Amino acid sequence: MSGGTVDIDEYEDVWVFIEEHDGDVAQVSWELLNEAQSLVEQKDSERLVALVIGEDVEDIADKALARGADQVLVADDPVFEPYRADPYGEQFRHMVEERQPDIVLIGGTTTGRDFAGRVAVPAYAGLTADCTEIGIGPDGHLEARRPAFGGDILATIKCEQHRPQMATIRPGVFEAAPPADDSDGEIERVETVISEEETLTEVLERDIGETADITDAERIVAVGGGCDGDLEPVTELAEALDAELAASRKAVDEGWIQHARQVGQTGKTVRPELYVAVGISGAVQHLEGMNDSDVVVAINNDPNAPIFENADIGIVGDLFDVCPALAKRLQDADDPQEVIA
Amino acid sequence: MTNEWTVVVGIKQVPDADDVSIDPDTGTLNRSDAAAVLNPPDRNALEAGLEIKDGVDAEVIAISMGPPGATDVLETAVAMGCDDGVLISDRAFAGSDTWPTSLTLAEGADYFDADVVICGEETTDSSTGQVPPGIAAHKGWAQLTYVEELEPRPEDDQLVAQRDVEGGYERVAADLPVVVAVGYGENHPRPAGLHRKIFAENDFEPDVLDADDLGIDKDIVGLPASPTKVGGQETVESVEREGDIVDDVDELAAKLEEVTV
Repeated sequence: MSGGTVDIDEYEDVWVFIEEHDGDVAQVSWELLNEAQSLVEQKDSERLVALVIGEDVEDIADKALARGADQVLVADDPVFEPYRADPYGEQFRHMVEERQPDIVLIGGTTTGRDFAGRVAVPAYAGLTADCTEIGIGPDGHLEARRPAFGGDILATIKCEQHRPQMATIRPGVFEAAPPADDSDGEIERVETVISEEETLTEVLERDIGETADITDAERIVAVGGGCDGDLEPVTELAEALDAELAASRKAVDEGWIQHARQVGQTGKTVRPELYVAVGISGAVQHLEGMNDSDVVVAINNDPNAPIFENADIGIVGDLFDVCPALAKRLQDADDPQEVIA
Repeated sequence: MTNEWTVVVGIKQVPDADDVSIDPDTGTLNRSDAAAVLNPPDRNALEAGLEIKDGVDAEVIAISMGPPGATDVLETAVAMGCDDGVLISDRAFAGSDTWPTSLTLAEGADYFDADVVICGEETTDSSTGQVPPGIAAHKGWAQLTYVEELEPRPEDDQLVAQRDVEGGYERVAADLPVVVAVGYGENHPRPAGLHRKIFAENDFEPDVLDADDLGIDKDIVGLPASPTKVGGQETVESVEREGDIVDDVDELAAKLEEVTV
């Protein structure tokens, strides 16, 4: 492997990886495609290219055009379904080395974070993990910002002498744009460079339930370790508020709630109008994922929990009492008969 | 008797996250004052490595890349039950980002002819999670990340893992050698046994391997060979919140109705 640097002027386009599983596109892909358009404008003149890898993914390529891609590169082959790191990494690496993009953005999902290194290492690219802000610096290089040490610090990572400049981006930090009615981009099918015989892994079984998307929710009720595995009170409150259920890492690690609903570092970033934290102490890793919420409410039995310093409204009390009582009050208030009475 | 599998567990000494302060004048992290601890997710990696011994005749070796003297984490690994612990240390490694770090650990694993390399999900001091896939990529080995459970299949030279994926899980069989990143908190790390602990503290002295020992060209490690550089850091301003503590549910409901109309 060469240790030298590259002629960075030969690298031009901005690439966005479109993550697809079983025909569904991960929302973060559309968020990145939208955000990447501003990078293309800041850099001036290069194209925005979407990469679609999977089997029978023509319709997803069309969607990527409608979402703003100038070009869509499609690697369509049974070897890519379901997802595996080794064939994805090999195909992606080949395309990067052949076509030399300047910037490559990948959603920071378990999939994106799994294979990004398999591209960056052989390509000798700079790879920054879990970014929450991106922009082009005055020197023309990508400035990828990421929280460090639980979010107290925002570090700017740059890659000045290697290409491409790669980054995985945390889901939910950028907004997706709606698809356009028409688009004039082009779709190009690329050659598959890996065969089933060359793969190192075999998926024996996949069990995917309903994948929740909490990043778009206007209201969220989030639960932490305080619920002790009993989700009934928070589910009731979430229904009364017409809110999505979310969780702290603790509740996810305990297996009470699926990872797709985790807020914070290693989870999702959310920015709802209302965020109700129930039985969540408020570790910085959690706050990092929700501190852009408009109004934060804290329900916790520990008056010293840090969540209270990070909430607009707080109540010190047992969540098993507060949640049902609050849910009842809210439902009663919604009932016009009660208001009249 | 030779062992069927060699399992190498990559572990790291990190500053205690609860102990890292921010210099109020410069806004930069003050890591030097913090106590050095074993990266917490690495305990899950050590446990997963030691559990392989339950089903396979395996030797488990902990390796750690760090400054000279960063051997306490290796002592912990040996006390938990690892057969050996080795420090990988060289001035040339200083300032490495994930690219040369994963190269160095890959060569470290190769030095021991590893069949299985196990790491924690990520480190608490840099939180990239990029090193395990990086190790696999440098060597062209299979990888299994976000692993919940391992099932060795020595008869097929395969390791099967249950992995966490968005919305569910999957079971994947990987050819050896394979790099595993164990999900943080996915198993219950065993406490150190008393005799093993006494041995680790009194009699264990880790070998030290440098770049030459591992056959690593010093031009492709360290800060100069790292594609990414930290271009600056700033303290995140905390969001100002009202901090209004209410006395009862009635008041809470009233306030909520104000903000949700």
